[in-house]
Amino acid sequence: MTLTDETLMAYADGEADAETRALVESAMRDDPEVRRQVERHRALREAMQGAYSSVLHEPVPDRLIAVARGQRAGERGPERAAAGVLRAPLRSASASRRWQPFAMAASLLMGIGLGYLGWHTSNGLVKSDASGGLIAGAGLAEALSNQFAADRPAASVAVTGISFRNKSGDYCRTFSLSGSSGLACREGSSWKIKVLAESAQPTQPAGAPDNFRQAGSADSTAVRVAVEESMAGEPLDQAGEIAARRSGWAAASAR
Amino acid sequence: MSTNESIGNIQEQIVALLPRLRRFARGLVRNPHDADDVVQIAVERALLHLDQWHRDARLDSWLFKIVRNAWIDEVRSRGRKLKIFMPEEAGENVGEASMDRVIDRLSVEAALSRLPEDQRLAVSLVLIEGLSYRDAADVLEVPIGTLTSRLSRGREALQAMLQLPGGEIS
Repeated sequence: MTLTDETLMAYADGEADAETRALVESAMRDDPEVRRQVERHRALREAMQGAYSSVLHEPVPDRLIAVARGQRAGERGPERAAAGVLRAPLRSASASRRWQPFAMAASLLMGIGLGYLGWHTSNGLVKSDASGGLIAGAGLAEALSNQFAADRPAASVAVTGISFRNKSGDYCRTFSLSGSSGLACREGSSWKIKVLAESAQPTQPAGAPDNFRQAGSADSTAVRVAVEESMAGEPLDQAGEIAARRSGWAAASAR
Repeated sequence: MSTNESIGNIQEQIVALLPRLRRFARGLVRNPHDADDVVQIAVERALLHLDQWHRDARLDSWLFKIVRNAWIDEVRSRGRKLKIFMPEEAGENVGEASMDRVIDRLSVEAALSRLPEDQRLAVSLVLIEGLSYRDAADVLEVPIGTLTSRLSRGREALQAMLQLPGGEIS
């Protein structure tokens, strides 16, 4: 029988079953051309492995280790951001603080220290729910439920950013508190905090020109990734926000 | 995600896999910094979605899948394909390898970067990462026949570009 090149490739990759192996080996003994083809496949495999094997021995950048350990979503340095090659805010996490894993059950906390979280908690902005996750406390919930992106009061502690529906049909809104930003989604009668992350930049001073896209730009990578991943369709415009508020931010399935 | 211990444990497993994730990304994105950015985005996503990882599935395969998705998303959604794929990308990182190895390596990287995405993924997973056909097909979420045909076409194109020795009968 004639052995196809794919069969010889599978043999060279160690993927052939015993029967095929025997066939190929017998053909290799009889036919130098078969032997040559198998050797080509092996040589390519070795060349590919050899070309990239050194990557395994390079020191892994600290920022990647920090991110893997949940020590804040890092952002990369300005020189890379200026090059604009990929998503801008990836920077070294060298100045990172550990997030505290105690509330990880349902909320992702990035770069939020215990004391900081305690401060939010004491302000009533954030509280734990029965499952150990975080939900918006009264002050934040009020803002999430009632503020529109375009007309938020400058003095407010909690300001809303973009609003959208997630893939489960729930309404979600980004918000920023002083020093942190996050994403909350309306589940039942509470705003469940999906992500709370230390802000990449200081929040705008009160009285700064209102521009919710600017507020969005202070969102951490973690918030942005969460928004990108959970958003179904486009962000709501103001009419959409008004309609959503009128509905009490009820999930699509509940209407 | 029931206990802090298990979260920490998974995180350490991810840390241990970082060298392989970086190598995989390097096969997809030539610029080492951009490749690390793809890894970073993937790891952030993985931590956000740890609940979607089933404990019976291999962590490395799951992470490879996320790296691959992160790469494709970056390429597609950011419209920076040219920037990422520029074969003459500056800043080749040649390390301290001998001159022969450098030449060898640059040509392999250049050749790989010229393959279509599907073939590059198949080649990176099987030939560089050493995954079985079955595991690679799972990462790419394609039937095994699709994987082998992409791999076969990718190999053919690489052979043509690299003109490797080894075909000669000694």
